[in-house]
Amino acid sequence: MSLALALQSGDVTSLPSRRDEAWRYTDLRAALRAIPEASPKDEASITAGPFAAIAEAEALVIVNGFGPDRLTVAPGEHRTVSLRFIASPAARAHHAALAIEVADGGFLTLLESHEGLGSDYVSDLAISLQIGSGATVERVAILNDSAEAISVVTATVDLGANATLNQTVLTTGAKRQRFETHVSHPGQGASVRLDGVYLLGDARHSDQTTVVTHNGEGGTTNQLTKGAVRDSARAVFQGKITVERGADQTDARMGHHALILSERAEIDAKPELEIYADDVSCAHGNTVGALDEEALFYIRSRGVPLEEARALLISAFVGEVTDRISHEGARQVAQDWLLASGMGAS
Amino acid sequence: MAAVKKTIDQVEQLETYEHGFVTDIAQDFAPRGLSEDIVRFISAKKEEPEWMLQWRLEAYARWLQMEEPDWAKVEYAKVDYQNLYYYAAPSQKAGPMSLDEVDPELLKTYAKLGIPLREQEVLAGVQGAPRYAVDAVFDSVSVVTTFKKELAQVGVIFCSFSEAVREHPELVKRYLGSVVPTTDNYFACLNCAVFSDGSFVYIPPGVRCPMELSTYFRINAQETGQFERTLIIADKGAYVSYLEGCTAPQRDENQLHAAVVELVALDDAEIKYSTVQNWYPGDAEGKGGIYNFVTKRADCRGVRSKVSWTQVETGSAVTWKYPSCILRGDESVGEFYSIAITNGRQQADTGTKMIHLGKNTRSRIISKGISAGNSSNTYRGLVSAHAKATRARNFTQCDSLLIGKTCAAHTVPYVEARNASAKFEHEATTTRLSDDQLFYVMQRGLSREEAVQLLVNGFVREVLQELPMEFAVEAQKLVAISLEGSVG
Repeated sequence: MSLALALQSGDVTSLPSRRDEAWRYTDLRAALRAIPEASPKDEASITAGPFAAIAEAEALVIVNGFGPDRLTVAPGEHRTVSLRFIASPAARAHHAALAIEVADGGFLTLLESHEGLGSDYVSDLAISLQIGSGATVERVAILNDSAEAISVVTATVDLGANATLNQTVLTTGAKRQRFETHVSHPGQGASVRLDGVYLLGDARHSDQTTVVTHNGEGGTTNQLTKGAVRDSARAVFQGKITVERGADQTDARMGHHALILSERAEIDAKPELEIYADDVSCAHGNTVGALDEEALFYIRSRGVPLEEARALLISAFVGEVTDRISHEGARQVAQDWLLASGMGAS
Repeated sequence: MAAVKKTIDQVEQLETYEHGFVTDIAQDFAPRGLSEDIVRFISAKKEEPEWMLQWRLEAYARWLQMEEPDWAKVEYAKVDYQNLYYYAAPSQKAGPMSLDEVDPELLKTYAKLGIPLREQEVLAGVQGAPRYAVDAVFDSVSVVTTFKKELAQVGVIFCSFSEAVREHPELVKRYLGSVVPTTDNYFACLNCAVFSDGSFVYIPPGVRCPMELSTYFRINAQETGQFERTLIIADKGAYVSYLEGCTAPQRDENQLHAAVVELVALDDAEIKYSTVQNWYPGDAEGKGGIYNFVTKRADCRGVRSKVSWTQVETGSAVTWKYPSCILRGDESVGEFYSIAITNGRQQADTGTKMIHLGKNTRSRIISKGISAGNSSNTYRGLVSAHAKATRARNFTQCDSLLIGKTCAAHTVPYVEARNASAKFEHEATTTRLSDDQLFYVMQRGLSREEAVQLLVNGFVREVLQELPMEFAVEAQKLVAISLEGSVG
């Protein structure tokens, strides 16, 4: 059951539905009656992407699934790549696969953007990410899908000893959107940070799913996802950390904190721990609530209009996540993205 | 030397599972296997009215269409439903009787288990000592219910389920299956078809039940499934505290226990339900033991009603159990306090569901899981707020403690908020006993084993505090015993 399979076969019955445990909050079957025809090759309408301001970034563009299928970083090499997945106005349905390899000691700043210029396209992307020993990947992904789109991004990450993956996902959702990250964690001093922010309005949906498996001793994982939903939007967070037998001295933390801003909005969370080793320290926290009325009142008593006060509180709330982005330019882009989201409006 | 002797005795007891004896007693069995005829047989044995039989047959027909669930994180050899006895009862005259007519072997069994069946025995202790009424269920039938007269004086109905069907059909008809519908799940549906006995409690409006009520379940017969049903109704403004205890003999084959418990709390009513589950867990290699597949659910139907579940789960080879609260009434409260301990090759998948439907509903979940040996312990829970459940509030804390390299602990919480004013908090931690704490306690002169016991007791204290006093003492001992032998 996967979107990739359905795109290949044209058969909607192979779409995952809420009967599949891993997709219970993201029912693609109900959202898609028929598989559209394949997207055409179309490179006419490329505009500047969200990371355009970062001058040192080299661009790698994939439009409607057409483009390069490989990205490599040589041993010890530093690269900053703006990886753009674009669904053009003519996009219908497409699938793309990209293999990224960062050799030992390499450093890749991956500025990833998913830009939906079309309307009701269906997009499926599979990314495999190999991070060599001592190598680092800083991945910042901005998902700007259109409101009618169905989009699934699945990344599979393999790390070497002492490797680092720092990931931040920023999304405004789509009709159905899933951003899935699977990490095979070797322990051995490797470190993983998986962060996410969602700001959803109207009838948008977004699902951030992570699966981290600790296979060896001495690994760390740190996750923080925050977001806000309003109107009839629906946010989903599913995080799973598995600590395999023998993966002692694992330190894993997961946090998911969300704000519900309107009566019809919904948040579903499933933070899971699966632990087979005893010398570990694992924790998860999950909170869901409304904006603090007292804090709002306090700001308004200082003469700030309601809408602005709300926006201020929301951006302070999720700002904790964007502050963790270490690439200065990317952090700035993320903060601008927050301000532009207009979440404060009631 | 007395202390040393006591330790030796205790250790010997452990190796044999204290309650693992078999009572040799004449018993009536239903023919082996399951069919419509068996359902009719059970119903006839219980002298049930026609409507009850129809209800069972309907459930049986539905059960045949259902599939056994496999989503829980437990692995076990599938039950051969045709190879079980669905009814086993000590041979005796039908109908109510005095304690003197009960088979002395049975009385001995309960004496051995420390369950007071004679009212004067309960009273024999210190003046003003807390008393509790007991419904003793032996395999498929209720043997005796104590303090019935005294309870009847205040209008409390406490009797076996079969008696309730005969004496209070209007109450049974009204509430049976209203919390756990027939087709709720595979095991509950099976229970509807073949349930044999259990306890029935009705607390009339405004009555505070004068004593603790309790049911003691005992599986004795070989290759027998136990399917009991408990229905507790607290009418407006009523209060009741109910305890449940369970044990079974030590056998090499697995035995099935599939119970259904339904609680109904009307306006301003409160039900406190405590369980100390100590079914035979199987031996160290995982041979034998009880499959405990239980459906427990409370319906907080009235405004300001409250249901509190407290469970200490130390036994069973496999546990599949999620005591839940449907918070339907405005301002109703649900609580779940749980200690689940697994050792040897035990597997437990347990937790709760708090379903917030009414306004200003509150719930609290405290779950403490301890796994040792080669066992696996899963917390699985759901907290959900319906769109109309304004200002729903939940706090959840799940802590897992791992003792040893080969055990496993899992946490699978589901949180579904469909309401802007809902406030849900969940936190979970998984750790092992801290070396620092162990060292600190041991340098005060405690042995390693004692130090672990002390720390574990501290870990589960929050839940033990919720148990009625007599049970808390027993539970504390159980915690120590269950972990015996797990410290290297």
